[in-house]
Amino acid sequence: MGYSSSLIQRKFKDIVGRRYESVLKEYSEFLLTEEEILVPEVRSILVPLDFFVHDITDEAIDVLSAYDATISLAYITDAGVVEILERALDRPSTEEFRAKKEEYGRKLLERTAAKLEEHGLSTQTRMFVGHKGDDVVQMAKNHDMVALSRRYADGESTDASISPIVLRICQRVETPALIY
Amino acid sequence: METVALIAIAVFLFTYALIVDERIHRAVAAMFGAAIVVFIGIVPWEALLEHVDFGTIFLLLGMMIIVNTARGSGLFEYIAIRTAKLAKGSPIRVLVLFALVTAVVSAFLDNVTTVLLLTPMLLYVARVMKLNPVPFLVTEIFASNVGGAATLIGDPPNIMIASSAGLTFNEFLIHLGPIMVVDMAILLLMMYLIYGRSMRVSPDERQEMVRMLNGLDERAAIVDRSLFNKSVAVIAFVVLLFFIHDRIGEILHIVLPFVDPAMGLEPAEVALIGAAILLFWSRQSPEEIFEKIEWPALFFFGGLFVIVGALVETGIIASIAAVMVENVASTGEAMFIIVWFAAIASAIVDNIPLTAAMIPLIHDLGTTMDAYPLWWSLALGACLGGNGTAIGASANVVVIGIAEREGIGITFVDFLKVGMLVLFVTVAVGFGMLWLKFAM
Repeated sequence: MGYSSSLIQRKFKDIVGRRYESVLKEYSEFLLTEEEILVPEVRSILVPLDFFVHDITDEAIDVLSAYDATISLAYITDAGVVEILERALDRPSTEEFRAKKEEYGRKLLERTAAKLEEHGLSTQTRMFVGHKGDDVVQMAKNHDMVALSRRYADGESTDASISPIVLRICQRVETPALIY
Repeated sequence: METVALIAIAVFLFTYALIVDERIHRAVAAMFGAAIVVFIGIVPWEALLEHVDFGTIFLLLGMMIIVNTARGSGLFEYIAIRTAKLAKGSPIRVLVLFALVTAVVSAFLDNVTTVLLLTPMLLYVARVMKLNPVPFLVTEIFASNVGGAATLIGDPPNIMIASSAGLTFNEFLIHLGPIMVVDMAILLLMMYLIYGRSMRVSPDERQEMVRMLNGLDERAAIVDRSLFNKSVAVIAFVVLLFFIHDRIGEILHIVLPFVDPAMGLEPAEVALIGAAILLFWSRQSPEEIFEKIEWPALFFFGGLFVIVGALVETGIIASIAAVMVENVASTGEAMFIIVWFAAIASAIVDNIPLTAAMIPLIHDLGTTMDAYPLWWSLALGACLGGNGTAIGASANVVVIGIAEREGIGITFVDFLKVGMLVLFVTVAVGFGMLWLKFAM
């Protein structure tokens, strides 16, 4: 350290004392760190949907809009439920249930895709019968981020808690996860 | 020359050398120097009370209480975030807006706190823009010194001059305000010409920056909404009182007939009244607020007054004044010498000790010539001279010190090149305007 540099530091210490540390602490409450400033490259985002996800929030769309990414909307009907119905009901009734589910899923996918496209996001949709947890974890490997509704795979409960399946997915996926 | 005079000079030079070098805390150096001249009887107790300018010390004390109380509300962080957002991703706008905000805040509150709280935000914005932060930081320094020079309470040299010469807040606004507006415009133009080319960003980067800054919530910076509102109200009230402090009696007499219409309030009284109102209204813990008062700075000022008082007591200041009077033909010439001496010397010594030494000299010059234009010359030179070097003013040291801690090197020579240019241009323009007003 040269003379001028050590002189500045001596004067700085005498003028400011410990005030700078407290200022930094106050700022750290709401400013991002250097690491946080770096935006990860996100080209594709998986957004799983199901019967319990009725909409995608505006706040979530704002965040998704920040990335120049394709949104993959995936509507998943629980394979376990279909299996139980197949065992309990006759074939036509099961087919009717599936058809109604598919109709609901298709409308939800179309509605959500349209809403995202209104915000300039490109989308692709997919619908299948599968396992809501395992399949999302598997599909997330091919995406850069996964965005999960807190109600996904949960039920119609009205409390603000996050669905256990969502928490489990977050623990298992390696990509960044957004819960909305 | 008498032995006591030689001792007074030796103590003065030794203390000022310690202040420049700062190996010993400036407050300790000043107190030690003061202790020597008091111990050997150069400044007796009665004279000591005369030399210590309590107007300056109480004004600083009052403003420190107000600023430290307001700081706890998040007011400064709020201003910083709002400023960053207003720039809408344009580096030039960041430079200009931060410079203007720094200048305005520095004009009414203390420079050190202003730059201490705005610099982290400025560094953050520069980091987001992926631009070299040095142009933004040096502009902030210059803006702080130029803005501070505009008002009585903006910069310690002005506070000292006003207290000693009995100048009012409005006189500072009238005589120095327009100069600083012109100097600020010139400063921004100079910064644009020097750094403008290095501040270009692509539309994508600009978009990215807008997104990052819009993600900041200025409301989150307000940690205490009630204190925030009260702080803004009291600061506004104090500024209003400063505008009318010399004729407060006339105004109060209309509603309170028993008040003497000739009564005026000293700036120090205004600051202490504001501090008392804010403490009373906000119910902040006085222990916590008083702990945050910069006592070393106040003792630094006190020590300086005593050391300079020793030069007065031994007749050294009067001798220098006599030599000046003999060799100066006109007020304009005296103004020229004072402006440029103050500007260049305060770039080397720091403008606070320089002003402390110059004030009694101007009082002595005032016995044979009109001192009024000389006060403005001193204020102009001392405040703007601070821009010359990295150690010329406290704001410089704070910003460069923060930059170094964040790994951004602003070398002494790098700063000197731009600082001296700014010093000469702004002082020359300011002197020209003062000369037209007082010496034509």
